[in-house]
Amino acid sequence: MSENYRERLDNILRAVQKPGRYCGGEYGQTLKDKEKVKARFAFCFPDSYEIGMSNLGIRILYGVLNREDDIWCERAYAPWPDMEEMMIKYNVPLTAQESGDPIADFDIIGFTLQYEMCYTNVLNMIKLAGLPIYAKDRTDDMPIIIGGGPCSYNAEPIADFFDCFSIGEGEEALVEFTKLYIKMKEDGTYTRKAFLHEAAKTVGGIYVPSLYDVTYKEDGTIKAYTPVYDDIPSKITKRIMPDMDKSYFPDKLVMPYIETVQDRIMLEVYRGCIRGCRFCQAGIVYRPVREKTPEVLCRQAKCLYESTGYDEISLSSLSISDYTQIEKLTTDLLEWTDEKNVSLSLPSLRADSFTKELMDKIATVRSSSLTFAPEAGTQRLRDVINKNVFEDDLKRAVNVAFDAGKTQVKLYFMNGLPTETSEDLEGIANLAKTVVEEYYKNPNRRKGKSPQVTISVACFVPKPFTPFQWEPQDTMDMLEEKNEYIRDCVTDRKVRYTHHDPRTSHIEAVLARGDRRLGKALEIALNEGFRFDAWEEYFDYDKWISVIEKAGLDPAFYANRRRGDDEIFPWDIIDCGVTKEFLMRERNNAYAGKTTPNCREKCSACGANKLGGERSCCPKK
Amino acid sequence: MLSEKIMVSDENPKPIRIKFRKVGMLRFISHLDLQRTFSKVIVRSGIPAWYTKGFNPHAKLVFALPLSVGTQSETEFLDIRLREDMSCEEVKKRLNSVLTDELSVTDVYVPESKFQDIGYAKYEMNIVTDGASEELAEKIRQLFAAKPIMMLKRTKSGEKEIDIAPLIHSISVSYDKESDSIRISAVLSAVSDNYLSPEMLVNKMKDELGILSHDIMRENYTIFRTEVYLPDGETKFR
Repeated sequence: MSENYRERLDNILRAVQKPGRYCGGEYGQTLKDKEKVKARFAFCFPDSYEIGMSNLGIRILYGVLNREDDIWCERAYAPWPDMEEMMIKYNVPLTAQESGDPIADFDIIGFTLQYEMCYTNVLNMIKLAGLPIYAKDRTDDMPIIIGGGPCSYNAEPIADFFDCFSIGEGEEALVEFTKLYIKMKEDGTYTRKAFLHEAAKTVGGIYVPSLYDVTYKEDGTIKAYTPVYDDIPSKITKRIMPDMDKSYFPDKLVMPYIETVQDRIMLEVYRGCIRGCRFCQAGIVYRPVREKTPEVLCRQAKCLYESTGYDEISLSSLSISDYTQIEKLTTDLLEWTDEKNVSLSLPSLRADSFTKELMDKIATVRSSSLTFAPEAGTQRLRDVINKNVFEDDLKRAVNVAFDAGKTQVKLYFMNGLPTETSEDLEGIANLAKTVVEEYYKNPNRRKGKSPQVTISVACFVPKPFTPFQWEPQDTMDMLEEKNEYIRDCVTDRKVRYTHHDPRTSHIEAVLARGDRRLGKALEIALNEGFRFDAWEEYFDYDKWISVIEKAGLDPAFYANRRRGDDEIFPWDIIDCGVTKEFLMRERNNAYAGKTTPNCREKCSACGANKLGGERSCCPKK
Repeated sequence: MLSEKIMVSDENPKPIRIKFRKVGMLRFISHLDLQRTFSKVIVRSGIPAWYTKGFNPHAKLVFALPLSVGTQSETEFLDIRLREDMSCEEVKKRLNSVLTDELSVTDVYVPESKFQDIGYAKYEMNIVTDGASEELAEKIRQLFAAKPIMMLKRTKSGEKEIDIAPLIHSISVSYDKESDSIRISAVLSAVSDNYLSPEMLVNKMKDELGILSHDIMRENYTIFRTEVYLPDGETKFR
């Protein structure tokens, strides 16, 4: 039945906008003999090729799975609407990039869930594959669909569409999961049901939503999650790779022909973050901090340079300047990168650890702009969110940049943060103005050039597994009003103001802390043709509200409600290492305007150390 | 053959010509993307490419005759320079070790002429269209035998009408019964100011004879660039 669709694709590609997204044939892809492998895995990224190819997680897991002789992992991306239209018109299902085979014929389909607004793409891809979207409607001869990535920490809105989720780091879990599949297929014990039960029981970090019944209270909040079997865990503990030096890192990459978002080497320096900003989910769920040694990092970087030919290495981690050996790492890398004309870049900078030494080493020559994220406009609010960056840090940091001839600074903020007042919003404009003033005070500034300070304001979206998980999001009207208020506060012509669309943030807030009942809304959304909702041109707020309401749900219940201290959350089924008590403590500290020292200064007993981890800064359990 | 006596160095880099094919699905990769790809290919092959001096040093790559998206080719040319001597055989071997079948090197040699010396390129086209027949082949022959053959050509300064007849060196058209398709072999001008894209011929046939106008699944065409010639239209460019 497995017809190869390459030829049909061929004909379609002539008629689509960017055929390079779909033509495959990249150098570095893994090709295997499909007759000789025992499990075929389709790794799906529910957004465009350009974004999917930039994802570090897929780069790692693609290599991990293909390292196994009996597994062949291929890739698939969400077809852009023009391509989708052709696929439907000419009856071409979603196929894998490598073989051109329909992913519906694979053994396992994996989705990485990077942001809530990709959920409609997930459903659309399952539909384009020709499979029933609900897990319960898929039969034993259809692929198992597994999800992973940041959104799997609360995947309840899409739980009914997935057979299972891999919680936490997937390097080991996905291999164990696939090997179990192979074993059960071989010894004849495989049925979808038996396999999922066995996986839930024996593979750590595997959450099978259908094996947990959810009941609700009259007020709509959750009453209980009950396992349907006695032998499966009542809480799913996330997996971590304890020793990052020993953890798999790819030695080659699939090389896109067309330009992608992160068209460079991404060197993962460490996992986790020592900071504990109270709005940040990544800072909590990736705990504990685990560093790689500079020796291993240099070896990995050199190896990737030689196998890819990229001329840029991005040091990626949540807060790169917090890496304990950043000095040694950059010095060691520069020993060979300079001579090879390879540049180093850093994705994120903290104002308090940005130094001239660091700036001289990174590839800033090509860009005249630097970005910092104070997140809030006043010290009071920065204390509430535990940002631990002071105005003086920012002043010092921008002066380093101005000394070096930079004229443009970008500042990221959020509005709608808990306890926010109009003073905090004025603070955003004032801080930008201060940066402009610093420029003119700096004697080394580039003469004859005026500065440009861009402030970009995002709307706060309360996320699961953060100290702010109990908080209501500001209503749309409030967020819009606040955006306008900031605009009025910006009087300096050297300051440019941009802000996110609160409408997207509102839907994001509904989905981020949503429960299983939202699956119905997503099904309606799919049937109404929703997809690419992370793209402004396809996002339609009014239609989103209408599908949520058609599902009999109230968006405000999820986004704008203050949750009770003892409320059971949909994501309480997951144990990310950090305890709910710690998060509650942190929320209370926030209300008191009390900061918490970073993990390196002092352990705040978040609980994540129970997971272990080498080269972390946690006390041993 | 004379052995090269001059020492190759950074000051005196050795020019080499890389002849490569770009076929299959890679016909959908644009020229710009091909350029970006090759700059990485050169690095990962480890060949001692010569780098430009200056602010942002990079391997200097010069391509002949950009190929339009959708066209395949067996004869593409890329000139680079080496800062250290390396045999052409070794360069070819190293490049192919970091390339795929659909984009691979077929020959490496010291250039014998300049890209400006290119006169013509030969294309093989295969057209599957409703109405393919001996009669259609004859109509196509007549279409391209006419003088002048006026067509609108898009240029930087807008559209202008040009006569493409002088740009066609030779053309042969046949109907292949077995595959029920039209086969065209054409040698077209490839001089930079007077470059005639084979797609122009396809467009002319579409406009005048209404071919390829029904269903993209049933009807399709392929174009292969198979040879590049000097201005006499016969001597192969090297």
